[in-house]
Amino acid sequence: MLTWLVLLPVAGAIVVLLTPRARQELHLPLGIALSILPLGLALYVFGVFEPQAQMQMTELHTWYEPWGITWNLGIDGISMPMVVLTTILVPVALGASTKITTRTKEFVVYTLLLEAGMIGVFVSLDLFLFFVFFEAILIPMYFIIGIWGSERRIYAAMKFFIYTAFGSALMLAGIIALAVLHNEQVGSPSFALADLSGLDLSIGAERWLFAAFALAFAIKVPVFPLHTWLPDAHTEAPTAGSILLAGVMLKLGTYGLLRFNLLLFPEASVDAIWIMGILAVIGIVYGAAVAIVQPDLKKLVAYSSVSHLGFIVLGTFALTSGGLQGAVIQNVNHGLTTGALFLLVGMIYERRHTKQISEFGGLQKVMPVFAGFFLFMIFASIGLPGLNGFVGEFLVLIGSFTTLPTLAIIAASGVILAAIYLLWAYERVFTGVPDKEENETLTDLSVREVSLLAPLATLVLLLGLYPNILLDKIAPSTEAILDRIEASTDYVVPPPGRLGDVFVAGEEDE
Amino acid sequence: MITPEISWLAILPEIVLALGAAGVLLVEVQWKPESNVLGTIAAGSVLFAAAFSVLQWAQAADSVEFGATGDLVVFSGLVLMDGLAIFGRFALLAVTAVGLLAGWKYIDSLGRRSAEAIALVLLASAGFSIMVAANNLVMMFLGLEVGSIALYVLAGMSRERARSDEAAIKYFLLGSFASAIFIYGVALLYAGTGEFEVLGIRQFLGSFVVFSPAVILIGLGLVVVGLGFKVSAAPFHSWAPDVYQGAPAGVVGYMAAVAKIAGFVAITRILLTGVQALDADWLPVVAGIAALSMLIGSTLALVQGDVRRMLAYSGVAHAGFILTGVVGGTTEGVLFYLAVYSLQLVGAFAVAAAVSGPDNSESSLESYRGLGRKSPFLAGSFTVLLLGMAGLPVTSGFIAKFGVFAEAWTNGFRWLVIVAVLASVIAFAFYLRIIVAMYMDESEVPAVDVPPTSRWVLIVAVGTTILWGILPGSLLSLAADALPL
Repeated sequence: MLTWLVLLPVAGAIVVLLTPRARQELHLPLGIALSILPLGLALYVFGVFEPQAQMQMTELHTWYEPWGITWNLGIDGISMPMVVLTTILVPVALGASTKITTRTKEFVVYTLLLEAGMIGVFVSLDLFLFFVFFEAILIPMYFIIGIWGSERRIYAAMKFFIYTAFGSALMLAGIIALAVLHNEQVGSPSFALADLSGLDLSIGAERWLFAAFALAFAIKVPVFPLHTWLPDAHTEAPTAGSILLAGVMLKLGTYGLLRFNLLLFPEASVDAIWIMGILAVIGIVYGAAVAIVQPDLKKLVAYSSVSHLGFIVLGTFALTSGGLQGAVIQNVNHGLTTGALFLLVGMIYERRHTKQISEFGGLQKVMPVFAGFFLFMIFASIGLPGLNGFVGEFLVLIGSFTTLPTLAIIAASGVILAAIYLLWAYERVFTGVPDKEENETLTDLSVREVSLLAPLATLVLLLGLYPNILLDKIAPSTEAILDRIEASTDYVVPPPGRLGDVFVAGEEDE
Repeated sequence: MITPEISWLAILPEIVLALGAAGVLLVEVQWKPESNVLGTIAAGSVLFAAAFSVLQWAQAADSVEFGATGDLVVFSGLVLMDGLAIFGRFALLAVTAVGLLAGWKYIDSLGRRSAEAIALVLLASAGFSIMVAANNLVMMFLGLEVGSIALYVLAGMSRERARSDEAAIKYFLLGSFASAIFIYGVALLYAGTGEFEVLGIRQFLGSFVVFSPAVILIGLGLVVVGLGFKVSAAPFHSWAPDVYQGAPAGVVGYMAAVAKIAGFVAITRILLTGVQALDADWLPVVAGIAALSMLIGSTLALVQGDVRRMLAYSGVAHAGFILTGVVGGTTEGVLFYLAVYSLQLVGAFAVAAAVSGPDNSESSLESYRGLGRKSPFLAGSFTVLLLGMAGLPVTSGFIAKFGVFAEAWTNGFRWLVIVAVLASVIAFAFYLRIIVAMYMDESEVPAVDVPPTSRWVLIVAVGTTILWGILPGSLLSLAADALPL
């Protein structure tokens, strides 16, 4: 099942590759149709997914015996939402790419390969396999930014590639170290997550390895001060690239911290609560503060990502039920809302060929539907109750308040700052009277564009009103992580406070 | 006096190659045929040599199984027929085959002199082939010289071009200097141990405690320097960029690849078999050379404006990566890396030759701009090969790098692995620069004509790069079996 999920996009890419280059009008519709297949399969996986802690739908095949590398796939409550999110965002990203008229075929091929790699990262249970996917997806994303991006695309693509490759290089050394340790302790090399989490690590080794993994993931997230590649990559990437970058690729970092750092290095994770928490909060406040002053709409959304992902990291290292569940669900929420915001920015850019906030004004009157969607997504991003962002940020804040109260209080200011930069941007772009001639003739959203936004908006609302549809499936896996940390360290997970009861899965009474 | 028993099978591949070279020259003199006929003779001799190597592999496996490894030491200890030798020879023959195909357009354009070029290629392969099998260090030197001298001449084949002359002279002068250093080292090793044979040196070091091994160590150092020159490891690499840039593009890939294979097999044999007992002395030095090569190669490649010079510096970096495998202490990683990299190298130079065109002049990064749109096959293949050399996953290069890193880490050289992963990140940058030029530049260049033979080379190189990236076991298990005696 999961193998099919990984291979379907690859097969799709091959199909597109075999179509004649001259039939350019065919490639994009074909790509969208082919990306619906993995979506269907992912929804099926979502349907049959059992809310339990163990890995499900596992597959294990030997890859190369003497090295102990395996094709080991499985899915749990942490990875399942991400797989579904990925398969939702890829058709949307492709659907938003009608303005890509040069080399459409390659574009579709790269996007589908990117999808395969991203799914592969989420479902790998073998660190070697995980690294293969983790590093391989840099190539299609590099091409997507570098070929179809805007003016400074080459610089941005290069910076993106080198930054992330630098982080993962040290993680590679860490992975080798773990496998060698396994060889020393058990007598055979292994890269399986289950095997490696049972290793007996000295605290020194654990700290070093934690640092190597955390650096790779922190660059990907990005955690302050490693975030400088992100605004460049986001601003220069084409709309589809930005959607997938923000929607999924940044989540590889937060996913990795949750899945690998907490599980493999529990002792070091407990030690790192404060460091990671402080960095996360700096990211929240700094990202929001920089977003306020951005004159460029896309850059504003990019910096808002730095801020929002800070919440996810904070929730992860709060090491409480609420924090972890909030982190996982916020992964999904941010993917939906920021993906949609990049989509919206892309739509206005296609019409006006500028992203400067000062160039707009009064668009509400000219494009009411567009303005409506924009406002809706802004509200979701700010965390308005009833929309999905509220659930995630609320869980994170409550979860971290029990362990890191000071940081949680500072982080809460991020919510207010988000309201400032997003609503102020909305005011400048949409309210008032259209005073620029070019803005008066803009057309509102087409049926195609609405059909791209509508599913995202529906999910935003659904997750806002009934988060338990996901939380029920997430909770057993996050609890398992906490159990594992409690079992191997002195750390005691604080019981959720009274407020926490409201949202923690299973205890909600509506 | 006892006549040594002659084990013909052990040297049949070399005999066939040498006969092929002689045959090409004689047929040319007698019948003056089309160059395709000469090419067929060459292909035949390479094929036969490969077939005999398969027989050797089977026999070597038998002998190891029945514990009769003594049978594999032949010609009174001059030559070995062990797994290391046979694997190295396979790699050499594969590179010879694709190298001849990649250079065919150039060789064909030489007209009446094409026979010379083909014969030189076969002779070089014969020389290096005996070098990888040599147990006796003098024998190794003879193989090295036969191979190197053929390569010096090949570098200068386009003698009407000043660049080519310059490359040949530089290569010749520095190369013979290095050979002299090597043979002086061999002499000192003999002075210190009383042995010319690698296995003999091992036995000597195993049975005697050498209190002041200074002479042995100086000799060893000189041998490593000499071979380090041949494989263009830093700081003995300064000839490589000029030679790679100046020599005829069609055959540079072949020249670089065979020299690397033979040099590294020799280094592996001497260090890991002969003087294994002294590894506390040589490991830090070799690790230092490896680190220096990776850092110098990667950083200097960044600032090159010429693709062939870039490939030369990347070759320096790769020498460092392979030495990392030597530091790891096993042959498996080194052999896999050599096989993978040498095919990629020949493929990359097949692209460079196609872009340089018939006059073999232009190889600046400028001439690659916009190649992605004009020649999608060429640019696509080059991209896969570059990503493979960079060591990105899903290519054989990643598996190769991972293998040598894991070995070095196991052997305790953690700092070297960290230097190596960082150097690979630096290296990404210059491989990407070429890809940027090919795909992300809007300028218009004329389409490049790819000779059909080069097309086949690229299919083989790209195919193996991806195949061994996804299913490495097919080659890795062979490399794991190819043990030295």
